[in-house]
Amino acid sequence: MKPRLAVPLLLALLVLTFLASLAFGELRLSFGQVVSALAGHGDEVARTVVRDFRLPRALVGLAVGAALGASGVVMQAFFRNSLASPGLLGVSSGGALGAVGVLAMGPLLGFTTAAMWALPLASVAGAFAATGAVLLLAQRGAGTERLLLSGVALNALLGAGTSFLLTTTAGHFEVNAQILFWLMGGLESRSWEHVWMGVPAILAACALLLPLGRAMDLLSLGEQSAQSLGVDVRRLRRQLIILSTVLTALATAVAGIVSFVGLVVPHVLRLGFGPDHRRLLPYSMLGGAIFLLACDLVTRTFPLGLRLGVVTSLIGGPFFLWLLRRPR
Amino acid sequence: MSVPVNPPADSALQARGLAVPGRLEAVSLDLGPRELVAMVGPNGAGKSTLVQALAGLLPAEGLVHWNGQPLSRIAIQERGRQLAWVGQEAQFEFAFSVREVVAQGRYAWGDDLSGVEEALARLDLTHLADRPVTRLSGGERHRVGLARALATEAPIQLWDEPVAQLDVRHALEVLRLARCLADGGGTVVVSLHDLRAAYRFDRVLVLDRGRLVGNGPPHEVLTAALIRDVFQVQATFVESLVPELP
Repeated sequence: MKPRLAVPLLLALLVLTFLASLAFGELRLSFGQVVSALAGHGDEVARTVVRDFRLPRALVGLAVGAALGASGVVMQAFFRNSLASPGLLGVSSGGALGAVGVLAMGPLLGFTTAAMWALPLASVAGAFAATGAVLLLAQRGAGTERLLLSGVALNALLGAGTSFLLTTTAGHFEVNAQILFWLMGGLESRSWEHVWMGVPAILAACALLLPLGRAMDLLSLGEQSAQSLGVDVRRLRRQLIILSTVLTALATAVAGIVSFVGLVVPHVLRLGFGPDHRRLLPYSMLGGAIFLLACDLVTRTFPLGLRLGVVTSLIGGPFFLWLLRRPR
Repeated sequence: MSVPVNPPADSALQARGLAVPGRLEAVSLDLGPRELVAMVGPNGAGKSTLVQALAGLLPAEGLVHWNGQPLSRIAIQERGRQLAWVGQEAQFEFAFSVREVVAQGRYAWGDDLSGVEEALARLDLTHLADRPVTRLSGGERHRVGLARALATEAPIQLWDEPVAQLDVRHALEVLRLARCLADGGGTVVVSLHDLRAAYRFDRVLVLDRGRLVGNGPPHEVLTAALIRDVFQVQATFVESLVPELP
């Protein structure tokens, strides 16, 4: 597909899914009602629903999708592998363990609903601790393969910790359910606090990432050749790891574990519009946001208690398989 | 060994005591402009290691100077303008077009795209320019790597086994290109296994088990005795079939 079609196409889809996120739900609104509610006119119930509930939820969804899409592109370029995903180095597992830790400690500390800020803070702390640990483990030589294997080991370790907490809290049904819900990701009851917690920093990290696209092109075809062509590879790798960690950590902190977005979105857009990172990065931010908002719409439309992380995988998985089966 | 502070004025590429533990022992050499240099040696002799150390792509002990400047004082982007390196591996994970990959050679120049089409033409890649590099043969991918190095317009070119996977005509063309660049004022170092080809270069470097055991004009260095010691084969100088470009 022609790259110049991409921006109008993706922007149109983003506006559409965003407006739909404001319109659909228990209270169905028309796009016209949504627009007048946003402008502060019209029926008071509609105004409250749109501005206090659906708008923050949609903004968080947009930012989380953009963050995961961008982070996926970064990891794929970093590891020169289109199967890399944001969680590869243990960032999401670390975030999960942090959040699950706070949730599991609820009964011990005497509160069942974790304080609003404690959970995301613990999640971000866990995510950064995991990345720090991987970088320390892989420090000597710091080769890509060592980093990857350290990530695999850490993912297993952190996953074991999370499973342990999950089973030890099995007696506390409510806590256990909270943990499970969080591990499957979701955007329900996201408030303006969540928006302030995650969205500005995600947008800032995305903005810092965009100028690195050209150097990522070179890195994605080999570290030594990139270095020889004039890319400061050590510095670039550091920038990429930090920004990708920030993006994934914040996304996980405000929405729980949402899998597959970071893998499938960049992959699809690369097939459609080519591997040039100066385009692939912004496209994947837009595409991630669209995919996440669309999946969130599905969770609201089907009253089955479908979790966001489940829907992203349910849609993403088969689509990805179909894509891989296509003759190239 | 005394280490001169200043390299000779006409030295393009200089190494003093360049070593990589376990792989390369204290190599010192001076290569000038307008010099076409062949690097030969058995597998595992340290050819790739030396090329990478000279290119500043490997942590190494000792000193390297490019055009009289210590490598440590040359900014990384400036390095991309002064020296081009082509590795043995030519794997491309992502489906960039041939032209896009060659254009990466202009990164250090602010992606100005000058000379990209010429580089494509000189490596016989114009007809493949829009094809994804993932759909090329091994030899074609190597030519893409060379075209990218050519596009940098760097005066020092280090090519690690550029012709090993090429057919006869393209191999000869690459060697002629190397000669052309050297005649134009460049310093071109080519590692290769074909001793007959190496015999036509201005200088030959012979590596054996991480040591530089020969360095000089081919007729002085590539003697039957050295070839026997290093490669464990008999060498005789006879007339035989020699493919040439028309």
